Formats: sequence, C-alpha cells, structure tokens
Amino acid sequence: MREQQIPQENQKPVVIIGAGHSGVAVAAGLRTRGWQGRILLLDAEKETPYERPPLSKELLKAGAPDESTPLRKEKFFQDKGIERLAGLTVESIDRPGKAVLLSDGGRHGYHRLVIATGSRARALSVPGANLPGVLALRTRDDALELKRVLVPGAQVAIIGAGYIGLEVAAAAAARGCKVTVLEFQDRVMSRVTSAPVSRFFENVHGQKGVRFVFGAAVTAIEGTDRAEHVVTADGARFPADVVLAGIGVIPNQEIAEAAGLHCKDGIFVDDDGRTSDPEIYATGDVTHFTSRIDGQSQRLECIQNAMSQADSVAAHITGQPTSDPEIPWFWTVQHGVRLQTAGVRHPDDDVIVRGTPSEGKFSVVYLRNGRLSAVDTVGGLSDFRPAKKLIARAAEIDPSLAAEPSISLTDAALQPSL
Amino acid sequence: MSNNKVTVVDREGATHDLEWEPDQSLMEALRDNDLPVLASCGGTASCATCHVFLEKEVFETLGERSEDELELLVEAEGYQECGSRLSCQVDFSQNLDGVTVTLAPEG
Ligand SMILES: Cc1cc2nc3c(=O)[nH]c(=O)nc-3n(C[C@H](O)[C@H](O)[C@H](O)COP(=O)(O)OP(=O)(O)OC[C@H]3O[C@@H](n4cnc5c(N)ncnc54)[C@H](O)[C@@H]3O)c2cc1C
Ligand code: FES
Repeated sequence: MREQQIPQENQKPVVIIGAGHSGVAVAAGLRTRGWQGRILLLDAEKETPYERPPLSKELLKAGAPDESTPLRKEKFFQDKGIERLAGLTVESIDRPGKAVLLSDGGRHGYHRLVIATGSRARALSVPGANLPGVLALRTRDDALELKRVLVPGAQVAIIGAGYIGLEVAAAAAARGCKVTVLEFQDRVMSRVTSAPVSRFFENVHGQKGVRFVFGAAVTAIEGTDRAEHVVTADGARFPADVVLAGIGVIPNQEIAEAAGLHCKDGIFVDDDGRTSDPEIYATGDVTHFTSRIDGQSQRLECIQNAMSQADSVAAHITGQPTSDPEIPWFWTVQHGVRLQTAGVRHPDDDVIVRGTPSEGKFSVVYLRNGRLSAVDTVGGLSDFRPAKKLIARAAEIDPSLAAEPSISLTDAALQPSL
Repeated sequence: MSNNKVTVVDREGATHDLEWEPDQSLMEALRDNDLPVLASCGGTASCATCHVFLEKEVFETLGERSEDELELLVEAEGYQECGSRLSCQVDFSQNLDGVTVTLAPEG
C-alpha cells in the first residue's frame, strides 16, 4: 500500500487551511498514502495543533496541567516534511491564480487546496454579550480563560444545555462553583438525544448540585464593568460571575463563500470531499454533505466526521479509492459518565430503552421504519460496536428483543433477507 | 530512557520494525509511524480503531483492562481474551522492548 507510484503532478503543493483534527488528518493521511509533494499546513493558531475534546473534559479539572493534548508531536510534522505556518490567517482564495493570500501579505500557490477551517462558537447576540466574563469555548485559550475563573464559590451561568455546556457544567460543579444551566428547550441535549437520556443526565447533574432552568430565553446580560446577571424573557435575573455561552457553532466558510464556492450551512462537498471547484476540497466541521448512509443532507460536528472526511480527501488527492462510509459517532463525558452515540437519530424515530437508567448503565435504541438508525450507550460500551455494524446494514430490529439488555443487540436483529 | 524496538505485523501480514518513544502510547507509536491506525478518538478508549494483539506472555505483564476498553474489545473482530488491547491504553514501559504487535482486523 505504501509503495505507490507517485505521479509527476504530486510535486505540486497541497495547501491545507486549518490545522484542526481534519486538516492534520489530511496532512498525515497524504504522507501515509505516499504523497511526496509539498504539504503546507496553515493555521491561525500559533501552537502545535491539539485535540479539542479534552478542552472541556480534562483541561478544566482542578490541578490538571494547562497543556493541551497535541494531535501530533511537533517532531512528527518535521519528520513527515509537513510545513506548518502557524499564527497566520488565510484571508482569501484566488481561484484563477490558484493561490491563498495570508494576513501577513504572503501568497502561496496550490496544486490542490483543502479547506479545513472548522467552526467557531456561535456568539450570544443579546445586549451585554460583550461584557467581560461572558465566555465561549472553542480553543485552548478559551479553555484556559475559563479555567482561571471557575474558582470555588463562583456563580456560573451556562447558556445552552448542549454537550459543551454540560461538560463545562460538570467541570465547574466539580470545582465547587454554583452552576445554573439556562436552556430554551425543555430538556438537556435535545438536539442530539432522546428524552430518557436527557432525563438521566439531568439527574446526574442534579445530584452534583447543577441547577437547570428550562424554557429560558436569555434576553440580556447585565453588569457594570463585567457580567453580573443573566436576564431571561420572563424577567428573571440570575446572578453570574461567569457566563458561558454554549449555543452551537457556525461553520468558518466565509473565505470559501467569497471565492464563489457553493455553500449554504457549510461548504458543499461530494463523497470525495470535493467542493464545487474540483481542485478545492473541504473537510470537517465546515462541510455540508449528503450522507452516503441515509441520504440525509447534513453538517456534522464531530471528530469521527472530521477524520473520515479527511481520509476520503487524502485518498482522492492521491488517486486511491475511498473507504466505505463510517457510521457517524460521538461521545461526551459528564461527571465521569460517558454517553456514546452511533448513528444520527431523527426526532421522530421510535425510542426503545434497553436496561434500567437508574442503574447508571443502559442504552437507547432508535428505529426508523423498523430499522436501526442510531444507538446511545450510557455508562457502558457493549452495544456500541454491534450498533455501528447493524446501522451500516440498516438492520431490521425486533423491538421486544432490543428492549431486553440480556439479549445482544445483534441477536435482536432480523437476519438480512437476501 | 531509550526507545523500544517494536515489530509490527500489519493487516496484510507484512512486518515493520519501528521505534517506540518513551513519551508515546503504543497507539501513537503505531500511528506516527504510518501504520493504518486511525485512532479517531485521540486515545480515549472510545473508537477501538487502535485494537492490537499482543503475545500472551507480554499481555500478562500488563495491568487489567478498564471496563470501557474491555466492552469495546469483546465486540471487536477477532477478540482475544489474552491478547487483545486498545493500543492507546498501553503506555511505554521498558519491559515492552522488543515485543511483536499485530494489528487486529478492522471492524
Ligand atoms: C470543547 C470541545 C469539546 C469537544 N468534544 C468533542 C467530543 O468529545 N467528541 C467529538 O466527536 N467532538 C467533539 N468536539 C467537536 C470536535 O472538536 C470538532 O468536530 C472537530 O474539532 C472538527 O475538526 P475540524 O478540523 O473540522 O475543525 P477545527 O478542529 O475547529 O479546526 C479548524 C482550524 O482552522 C483554523 N482556521 C479557521 N479559519 C482559518 C483561516 N481563515 N486561516 C487559518 N486558519 C483558520 C482554526 O484556527 C482551527 O485551528 C468538541 C469541540 C469542542 C470545542
Ligand atoms: S485510539 Fe480510539 S480507542 Fe484507542
């Protein structure tokens, strides 16, 4: 596999914008696949590319080192001849000239361009959102800033009960902060999971002193020199020394849009990661694509997608076949309890609870037209791998067998009729 | 501490000799030496793409597998009770110099 013939054109540079999970995986994947041309990896952030999941999990813990977990060691990039330009922003793409233009005035020509610019935290758009003390979490700097203010006794208001908000809530509670989570919906993580899982995690958080306010529409942040209160539509005021907004992300697609690439909510890419310009690829959080598994048009914000699209891009650039699509999956850890999801659930899927939530370990199985579409595993991973395989073959499931945790999920599936 | 030497048998049966550096987990040593180990979860015992087989004698010198690790492994292709490990959960140790590591099948 590694003794590929390198075509002549491979001498030309691949320029990758963004050294997050996806950009780094493209660079590494190109080398693994035998690419011998130049690879330029550009990122606005200065430091060695790092993992984002630990930012809201390990890094915020009391006593945890401030270091981020590198995606690859600095030496890896040198050894592989991957040139990194760090601390510079790509300001525009010159498609006719096949070059990117940098914030320092630099210009780099590309043979193939990969846009892996990820996403950014959606900013609160209410009066007072710019006050000091109102934070978001996307980068290591964000995490360190947050870590400094999560001191014992601090009143922390978290806006949005998505997984980032909840991971921060857990970290803050563990550090002795007084945590209130304000959520517009009527339960936590409503976008990604079903009510039984939401209720379970609400309980876990509740036992650690985290307070939830549902149906809360935040209308303002008040304070003189810094945030002091969060105000909601019903007039309630919640005291807060720290406000964390965890209200979703926005794809960093502006340079692609300005260059005329087809974008909507994300940059449109095909199965090989190609944009509407065949010499430009995009990968990771910034993309919008049609799922090869269920035909769904979607944007995913998870490591799995960042890695697997990166692999397709590296394969296509080197002229190798792409792997079969992987079932999307995701994990979050809150108060030491892991939720791991395989597949993408729809709100109107049938919901089957497998096991007893009060025992701290259970799964929830989602069926669409009788076929397995997604599984949430809580506090255990036994169902995770079988679920991925069954989802991949859109297995029909016997609901009563699936509800019985002593029967393996695989045995709850009807055999494929060929 | 000096590097360990490791022999890796890949999924096609070909062998590769590589250096395992003290600050790497076994997964990192494999991944950073271009072996096809996706390691999508970054070493948090979530994805199981770093599944390897160790020789029984070597396996037995290592500590217990965590519950998460075991639950992922038991459902993995070719699971070996006394050999399967998630390589991201195997830290460098001088005792592991000269070992042979076999990449487990994908899936
Ligand atoms: C706190 C936190 C916890 C998370 N936990 C999990 C988890 O447990 N599991 C999971 O699956 N996912 C998790 N995610 C989501 C996951 O991190 C993302 O899906 C993943 O990082 C996407 O990778 P990416 O390469 O597309 O984008 P990113 O990792 O965001 O990388 C994009 C990079 O592009 C750079 N960039 C952007 N624009 C430019 C420009 N114009 N010029 C130069 N550089 C630019 C940025 O600086 C950034 O470094 C988490 C995210 C956060 C923030
Ligand atoms: S790297 Fe994901 S389980 Fe080891």
